[in-house]
Amino acid sequence: MEISSTITETQPQKFALPVDSEHKATEFRLFSVAAPHMRAFHLSWISFFACFVSTFAAPPLLPIIRDNLNLTATDIGNAGVASVSGAVFARIAMGTACDLFGPRLASASLILLTAPAVYFTSIASSPVSFLLVRFFTGFSLATFVSTQFWMSSMFSTPVVGTANGVAAGWGNLGGGATQLIMPLVFSVIRDIGAVKFTAWRIAFFIPALFQTLAAFAILIFGQDLPDGNYQRLQKSGAKQKDKFSRVFYHGITNYRGWILALTYGYCFGVELTVDNIIAEYFYDRFNLKLHTAGIIAASFGLANLFSRPAGGIISDRMASRFGMRGRLWALWIIQTLGGVFCIILGQVGSLSASIIVMIIFSVFVQAACGLTFGVVPFVSRRSLGVISGMTGGGGNVGAILTQLIFFKGSKYSKETGITLMGVMIVCCTLPIFLIYFPQWGGMFCGPSSEKIATEEDYYLSEWSSNEKEKGLHQASLKFADNSRSERGRRVHSAAMPSNGTPPTTV
Amino acid sequence: MAARGLLLASFLLFSCFAETYGMISFSSLPRTLVVTASHRQGLLKADEDKITVIWGLNQSFPAGTDSAYTTIKVKLCYAPISQVDRAWRKTVDHLSKDKTCQFKIVSRPYSNTNQTFQWTIECDVPTATYFVRAYAFNAEDHEVAYGQNTDAKKTTNLFEIQAITGRHVSLDIASVCFSAFSIVALMGFFFAEKRKGRKAQQ
Repeated sequence: MEISSTITETQPQKFALPVDSEHKATEFRLFSVAAPHMRAFHLSWISFFACFVSTFAAPPLLPIIRDNLNLTATDIGNAGVASVSGAVFARIAMGTACDLFGPRLASASLILLTAPAVYFTSIASSPVSFLLVRFFTGFSLATFVSTQFWMSSMFSTPVVGTANGVAAGWGNLGGGATQLIMPLVFSVIRDIGAVKFTAWRIAFFIPALFQTLAAFAILIFGQDLPDGNYQRLQKSGAKQKDKFSRVFYHGITNYRGWILALTYGYCFGVELTVDNIIAEYFYDRFNLKLHTAGIIAASFGLANLFSRPAGGIISDRMASRFGMRGRLWALWIIQTLGGVFCIILGQVGSLSASIIVMIIFSVFVQAACGLTFGVVPFVSRRSLGVISGMTGGGGNVGAILTQLIFFKGSKYSKETGITLMGVMIVCCTLPIFLIYFPQWGGMFCGPSSEKIATEEDYYLSEWSSNEKEKGLHQASLKFADNSRSERGRRVHSAAMPSNGTPPTTV
Repeated sequence: MAARGLLLASFLLFSCFAETYGMISFSSLPRTLVVTASHRQGLLKADEDKITVIWGLNQSFPAGTDSAYTTIKVKLCYAPISQVDRAWRKTVDHLSKDKTCQFKIVSRPYSNTNQTFQWTIECDVPTATYFVRAYAFNAEDHEVAYGQNTDAKKTTNLFEIQAITGRHVSLDIASVCFSAFSIVALMGFFFAEKRKGRKAQQ
C-alpha cells in the first residue's frame, strides 16, 4: 500500500517516448538518444559490441599469431573453446548481479575488469598464455545478459523483442566487425614499420581501449530503470531489494529457462563457433589472402546488423497476431532452417557457393537468436536476470560443445565439422515443442482451461504469500497486466480476468 | 645412355602434360640440383644468424639436362616434425597447393656454375625445424627440377630456427599501465557513487 503511494508521491516524470504503467517505453525509436530509454539502448549495444570485438580479435590474426607463438591446431582449438567457456558462469552470475545491483554497475564492472585481459594479449608468449588471455577476455561476453536485462527493463512487451534483438544484434556485429578491423589495424601498423610479430601485438590495444571507454560511458551516462538507478530507488523505498536465494531459486527451477538455454546453445553457440573458425576455414581451404579471408568471415557477423533485429521484430509481429504460440513457432521454424543451411555449407566446395550459403545460414541462425530473446522476457519476472543469464550461458555451452566435438585438433576436416554441426542444430531445436505457458499455451497445446490460467497467477506464483503481504510483488503484477498482449488477437475480445485485481487500486 | 635419354625425354614429356593441365606434381620433378646449406652450430636466431646456401647442377646428369632452366628459387621449407598438427604447413604433391616451403631465400637466373648466397634469417620466420630446397623454373615459370640439402625422407641436415618474440619492453609497460588504470578507474567510480548516495541521504 505504502509502496505505490511512494511512487506517485514524486512528480510524474515526463518521458520523451510513450510509456506504460512501469514507465517502460512502448515505442522503439532507433535514431533517438533520449534519456533514459534510447540512451540505455545505445550504451548497451555499443559496450556489448566492444566486448565482442575484443573476444574475437584473435581469430582473424591467427595466421600470424600461430607462427609467433608456435601454436598447433590443438592449441588453437583449445584457445577457441576457452574464449567462450568463461562466459558460461559469468553470464549466470551477471544475471543475478543485474537482479540485485542493476545492469549499469554490473556491466560496467565486468567490462573494466576484463579489459586487462585484452591488454595482456599483447604480451602473450606461449600457447598457455594465449589460452589464458582468450579465456579471461571471453568473460566480457557476459555483458550480453546485462544488455538484454537492461532492454527488458526499459522497453514494454509490444517492443521488447525488437529492442532485445537490435541491441544484441548490433552488439554481435562486433564479432564480424573485428574480422575487418583487426587485419586492417595490423596492416596499418606493419606499414608504419613494425615487424609482423610486433604489429599484431600493438593492434590489440585498439579493442582494449574501446572497451575501457565504453565502460566509462555507461557509468557516466547510463541509468538502470526509467525511474532512476537501483541504489537511489532502493534507498527511497521505491524499489525493494530482493533476496539472492529467492531470485536464484525461482530462476533455476523454471524448466523453460533450461530448454531455452539448450536451444540458444544451437543458435548463438553456433554463431560463436563460426566466429572462431570461419576466417581460418576460408584462408586455408580456398588459399585466400589474410585480408580477403577476413572480409568474408566478417560478412558472417555483419549480417547481425539486420538479421538478429529481424528475429526480434518477427517475434513481436507474431505475438501481436498469434501471441506467445506464434513466437514459439517462428523460433522453431527459423532455427531449424538455420541448421539445414549449415549442413549445406559444409557440403559446398566452391568459394562463391560457400559465401552465399554462409550468408543465408548466418541470417537464419542470427534471427533465431533474436527470436529466442522475444520469449525469454516472459519466462520469469522476478528472476528475469537469472533466466537471461541461464539462456545466455547456455549459448556459450553450445559453443564449447560444438568446438570440442567438431573443431578441436585434426579429427574432422573443417567442412565435415560444419555439416555435423548443422545436424546437431536441427536435433537440439526440437525441445522447443516442450515449452508451455498455462496462460498462453505452447506449440501444440492451447492455454490451460484449469484455474491457473492467467498472467497474474503465473507471475505471482514466484512470490510467497508472506512476500505478497509485504507488497513485494507489485512490479510483477504490473508486468502481468502489461503482458496480456501475449494472448494474441484474442486479447481484444477477451474479458478482463475476474481474479488477481491488485489490492492497491482499492 | 639411351635409357637415360629416354628417361629424360619422358620426364620432359610428363612435365609438358603437367603444364598443360596446370598441376605440376612434386613427385614428377627430377632431383638434378645439389644444394648445401651451412650455418653456425646450435639454435639459429631469426633476424640475427645467417645461412649460406650453395646450389648447382649435379654434374653426373647428362649435358642438356638444364636446357630449360631459366630461374632458380631457393626456399626455406618445414621439416616433417614442424608440420605435425599444423594443417597450414601440409606437404601435398600438387605444387600449387603445397605449403611446405613458405619462405623465399633468393631467386636468381640459372647459371651453369655453382652459386652461393648468404641469407640473414628474416624476422617473420617462425620457430621450427627446417631444410633448404631449390626449385628450377623454366621460361613459363613452371617448376621443372629441384634439389634439397636433406635426403628424400627429410631426416638429415635439418636445422632449427628460433623466431623473434615480437615483444618489446615498451609494450609490456603500456599493457600493465593501461590495465591498472582500468581497475583504478572502476574503483574510483564506485567510490564516487557511494559518496553521492551518502550525500543524497543527508
